[in-house]
Amino acid sequence: MVGIGYRKDFAADFAESNDMQPSFIEVAPENWIGVGGYWKKQFQKALEQYPLFTHGLSLSIGSPDPLDFVFLKQVKQFLRQTNAVLYSEHLSYAKCNNAHLYDLLPIPFTEAAIHHVANNIKQVQDFLEERIAIEIVSYYTPVAPELSEIDFINAILQEADCDLLLDVNNVYVNSFNHQYNAKKFIEQLPMHKVKYIHMAGHEKVADDLIIDTHGEAIIDPVYDLFAFTIQQLNRDVPVLLERDFNIPELIQLQGEINRLRDIKQQILQPASYANIY
Amino acid sequence: MQTYIDTQAYQSQLARFCRTGQWEPIPGVHVQHVQQYRRLVYNVIDDMLLNAYPLVYACIEQEEWNELVQLFFSEHNCQSPQVWYMPKEFYLFLHKRQHPLLQKYPQLLNVMEYEWAEIALFMMEDIAVTYTTFGDVLFSKLILNPEHCLLHLTYPVHQKKVNTIHAEDKSCFYVIGHRNREGAVLFTDLSPALVRMIEYLAMQPLSVMQLIQQLENEYAMQLTEKDKNAVLHFFEVALQKQLLLGFSVSSEKKVFE
Repeated sequence: MVGIGYRKDFAADFAESNDMQPSFIEVAPENWIGVGGYWKKQFQKALEQYPLFTHGLSLSIGSPDPLDFVFLKQVKQFLRQTNAVLYSEHLSYAKCNNAHLYDLLPIPFTEAAIHHVANNIKQVQDFLEERIAIEIVSYYTPVAPELSEIDFINAILQEADCDLLLDVNNVYVNSFNHQYNAKKFIEQLPMHKVKYIHMAGHEKVADDLIIDTHGEAIIDPVYDLFAFTIQQLNRDVPVLLERDFNIPELIQLQGEINRLRDIKQQILQPASYANIY
Repeated sequence: MQTYIDTQAYQSQLARFCRTGQWEPIPGVHVQHVQQYRRLVYNVIDDMLLNAYPLVYACIEQEEWNELVQLFFSEHNCQSPQVWYMPKEFYLFLHKRQHPLLQKYPQLLNVMEYEWAEIALFMMEDIAVTYTTFGDVLFSKLILNPEHCLLHLTYPVHQKKVNTIHAEDKSCFYVIGHRNREGAVLFTDLSPALVRMIEYLAMQPLSVMQLIQQLENEYAMQLTEKDKNAVLHFFEVALQKQLLLGFSVSSEKKVFE
């Protein structure tokens, strides 16, 4: 299964043409909760055709601020109404000092943060009555770190007992920005917890910095890392193509979807690949 | 080992830096790269506000815009987890703040109110209503489209280019915005009498005859035949534009719920 991040920018074309045929779509609940009119009609059309995966932006699971249960209740309702297959969120914070920032800030890799974030994830899972997948985010600087990134992530996954959304592009971006070996990083992740994979493009803005823009096509080294990840997994996992800016013709996005599907098919033995269907 | 208080403090410092640009050193931070967070976060806010308020942006100088956005972002705690809703907080912030630019551009708040009304109507949740399309405009009870909002403007921001509006344009403008079945938002000018009739309709379905009668009773006045024909014409057009959805279901066939 390879899906696409459903964007308002291409919603009309997507509904009217067959140029792009993903296996599922993904949205951020906060972009669709309480929305009616034209967009709701477009979204409903898409929901009639495709299973929905969801990926939150504003829950701010790593925030020092308390969790927003009013918002979480709306998310829960949205997940039920749309029959969403999965809900995922970011291992980051987007709200602090009682203010939303609408972007993903890096959590300090500290013991104290592990317990706080894991406790938040557990509360969310209890409230939603389902397991959630947490995404490793790209980051451009560490913040007061006590631990390595991999130790921090693994400790949270273990303590929270949640699933992992493995964004392969983010691992690539982080390995470049913080100069580590991306494959070794992936090898150290608990692969049995990987529930979902994200793939995207990025932009190199300086000799020593890549920004995770979702505004470019996936580059070959990230496809290679994806192939490595599938080898490590040795099982089929839903994969999402994210494209949020500079959106090309849908046929081009389909080309990326096809390439991701081909890589999976080539790597997975027919038996293990067939399991998912 | 850090306490959670320390970790929280560093998170708080980083968030403050993103909002204000004022840097307080945090251990382990790459000072050059951390600027990216300030840029990315600011761009999200700026882009969202630009998309929401293109007329406000056209009305004021670039520097003034930047100053407003920065002031809002650094001083206002955005409360909505839904970023598309954040521009409303911008409008309310400037309204409460009574920023000096509102003196320089007296039409500014009206422009924002108008632009936000369009977004709010376009995005609002669907409201189910029962009505029939069979009826007579004059005698059947009319069903008002609940997806509407009434605006009372002091400047004609819906009629003139906003940067050509001056103090002498100040007056009283009543406008109703509504969303039609295709999802498009339409605005219509109203007279004070029509505003009152819309308010009656918002409370309960009434026929044009009843609306006229209620208005005459409330204000102890008698509408001329010409006025009554104008009212009838307004509601006929309103029906075509889906400001009125149809007629109250009594013995008629129900078409939508």
